[in-house]
Amino acid sequence: MLFSLLAASWYISVSMEHIIIERAQDSLKAQALILGDQLGRHISSNNFKEVDGICKKSVLRVNTRITVILPDGSVIGDSEGDPLKMENHKNRSEISKALSGAAGFSIRFSGTLRQRMMYVALPFIFEDKIKAVVRTSLPLTVIDNAVSLIKVKIIIGVVCIAVFASFVFYIASRRISRPVEKIKYFADKFAKGDLENKIPAPKISELSSLSEALNKMAVHLNNRIEKVVSQRNEYIAVLSSMIEGVIAIDMNDEIIGINEAAAKMFNISRNDVKGKSIQATLRNSDINKALENILNENTAVQESIVVFNDKGENFFDTFITPICNSANHRIGTLLVFHDITQKRRLDIMRKDFVANVSHEIRTPLTAIKGFVETLHYCIDKDKKETGRFLQIIIKHVNRLEVILDDLLSLAKLEKKEEAKEFVFEKRCIKNVLETAVQVLESKAKEKNINIEIKCDGKIMAMIDAGLFEQAIVNLLDNAIKYSPDKTAISINARRDEKKISIGIEDSGCGIPKEHIPRLFERFYRVDKARSRELGGSGLGLSIVKHIVKAHGGDVYAESSLGRGSTFTILLPFQGI
Amino acid sequence: MLQVDSVKRGAVMTKYFRKELEKIKKKLLSLGAIIEQRIHLVCKAVLSCDADVASRIISSDNEIDEMEVEIEEDCLKVLALHQPVAVDLRFIIAVIKINSQLERIGDQAVNIAERVDVLAKKEIMDFIFDYTPMIEKAEFMLKKSLDALVNFDLDIAEMVCVLDDEVDRMKEDAYDKIKIAMKNNPERLGYLLNFFLISRHIERIADLSTNIAEDVIYLIEGEIVRHEKIDGEK
Repeated sequence: MLFSLLAASWYISVSMEHIIIERAQDSLKAQALILGDQLGRHISSNNFKEVDGICKKSVLRVNTRITVILPDGSVIGDSEGDPLKMENHKNRSEISKALSGAAGFSIRFSGTLRQRMMYVALPFIFEDKIKAVVRTSLPLTVIDNAVSLIKVKIIIGVVCIAVFASFVFYIASRRISRPVEKIKYFADKFAKGDLENKIPAPKISELSSLSEALNKMAVHLNNRIEKVVSQRNEYIAVLSSMIEGVIAIDMNDEIIGINEAAAKMFNISRNDVKGKSIQATLRNSDINKALENILNENTAVQESIVVFNDKGENFFDTFITPICNSANHRIGTLLVFHDITQKRRLDIMRKDFVANVSHEIRTPLTAIKGFVETLHYCIDKDKKETGRFLQIIIKHVNRLEVILDDLLSLAKLEKKEEAKEFVFEKRCIKNVLETAVQVLESKAKEKNINIEIKCDGKIMAMIDAGLFEQAIVNLLDNAIKYSPDKTAISINARRDEKKISIGIEDSGCGIPKEHIPRLFERFYRVDKARSRELGGSGLGLSIVKHIVKAHGGDVYAESSLGRGSTFTILLPFQGI
Repeated sequence: MLQVDSVKRGAVMTKYFRKELEKIKKKLLSLGAIIEQRIHLVCKAVLSCDADVASRIISSDNEIDEMEVEIEEDCLKVLALHQPVAVDLRFIIAVIKINSQLERIGDQAVNIAERVDVLAKKEIMDFIFDYTPMIEKAEFMLKKSLDALVNFDLDIAEMVCVLDDEVDRMKEDAYDKIKIAMKNNPERLGYLLNFFLISRHIERIADLSTNIAEDVIYLIEGEIVRHEKIDGEK
């Protein structure tokens, strides 16, 4: 815009210059013509003095310099100087032109007046002969001033137009750029992920379709993203609620995903583990070996693995499968863990129980059979021998009786449990304890064992007195059996807000740690030989557990090898 | 042209170098897992005097030796090919040392298994000494020293070093009790001798676990703390 303004203004000023010069020319011409008529008489009558006088007179009224020149070039009149002193003007360009009959025009530096002048020369024709040349001239400064004045006016005009135009331009462009900026601001927000805000409709209709298109795009994107997120959340929810543990690893054996169940199984934290190798986090040689085997094959593998932590051993059935992408390239491995620890324990218990029962009953039976047969063969022999054999037989029969009695008690207990036939009464615990101690008094005396009861007489509980007494008797019996002579057994009963605890503590040989979880199983023995010798059936503790469970309580054992054991019964206390 | 080539080659070598380090770390941890499992098995065998488990441990020891040699060779290859510096160099050195400690722990497991084998063939004696706490402590120290390696955890490593004293005390306790038992049962000397030797092997396992922990401290801090007491001890 500026360029066009400058070009226009230059063109205008140049044109104006021409016009002014032309006008000056015209006016000079007109003056020369009029003067020519005035001077005509005097020129033809060769009254040169009069000519000069008129020249000088007219200059007072007009600003023009007038010069009259004869065809030979001599000056006969001049408004400024003395014509006789002036040089021959024949060769001046405008004069020579005029002498040839046409109007002459030139701009040049005047030696006489020492400035630039514009000259117009007209021939004066009388009787078809050029009698003289009348030349009018104007100092250029006048013209120059006029031109510069015009130029200044033009420049001022141009500047004003420029300012005004810029102002208008600015307003107009703001009207467009503001809504565009607003659209850009919201588009930036979309790009950053904030898809919630909608662009308000701009006033300019061309832009409104743009903003509408952007809004639609944002809504569409938002929906897609929400769908993807909710799908992902569904998968995460499914994986988190699974009981089975799931671990996914990539081709570098680094963990890319792990669910809660797996983290619990191996006692690791889900957040610590991402990106670490499975060898570093699980540190299980069974898994490592299985992974090595599946490295080169693309088949699934099932392994049983053992994981040990401080609480013991856990067994897991592990399924290891390769993970392939849609192009069937292997991209990783998936491990799924099923916890079969419980199942295995139950399996072991069941197997042991069956084996134990048959063994327990078979052994006495075999002995009895053996001795009966022997007696049968040597019935008439030594009476002393016969007596001895019969003793042994009776001993085994008694043993069988004990075992069968206990088995029956256990069966009865279980039946009562099922039918919920227990009868509970409010009883004083101390009395029950004292009765139990009395039952075993003689046994204790035989080994010089002192039994001490520490129990507050006010402790009461809802119990089946008979059964509870039997439980205490069983525990005490064990304590006496496994304590060396001349030691002490103490029974401590305590009550706190929620429960009553009764502990029977001995200083016997103790129980090794790995047997303690299985102590209360039927027929479970720590030291088979010794326990049978001491006359146990293997069912005592199992009966205690059933009785205590029937009362809603629990029983557990603590022991340290060589120092002694403590068996504790916990009864819930129902605010009596 | 040549300069671009060497830069590209440099980048490829670095990637290969990183991968080699990762592989070595994984192999070392796999060896660690196997050793941990064997220690756990042999300890169960001691407490239950199980000869089957013992013989299985004795016969599968070559696997350990092969793995140890493999890891050491991999480390030497990395040293020769890549000339690592600073942390990477400390890492390779620590791996070589821990590798050898793990193999020695494996040997101690075999030694214990051999004692159990002998004891199982003799007639069992009444209770003399309970190895359970000592064994559990040694197992715990091994596990924790490997945890410290995996997690670069200085505190766990220092804890392992402190626990070594407890195991030494337990060993002396065993010595005293077994000495008394020898006096009282001179006819069972063979049994009791083998029984006592187990305590020495357990104590060695604890020592070697402490060495692993010290190697981890070296790896993390760049300082060698062998033969020094940790701060806070007399």
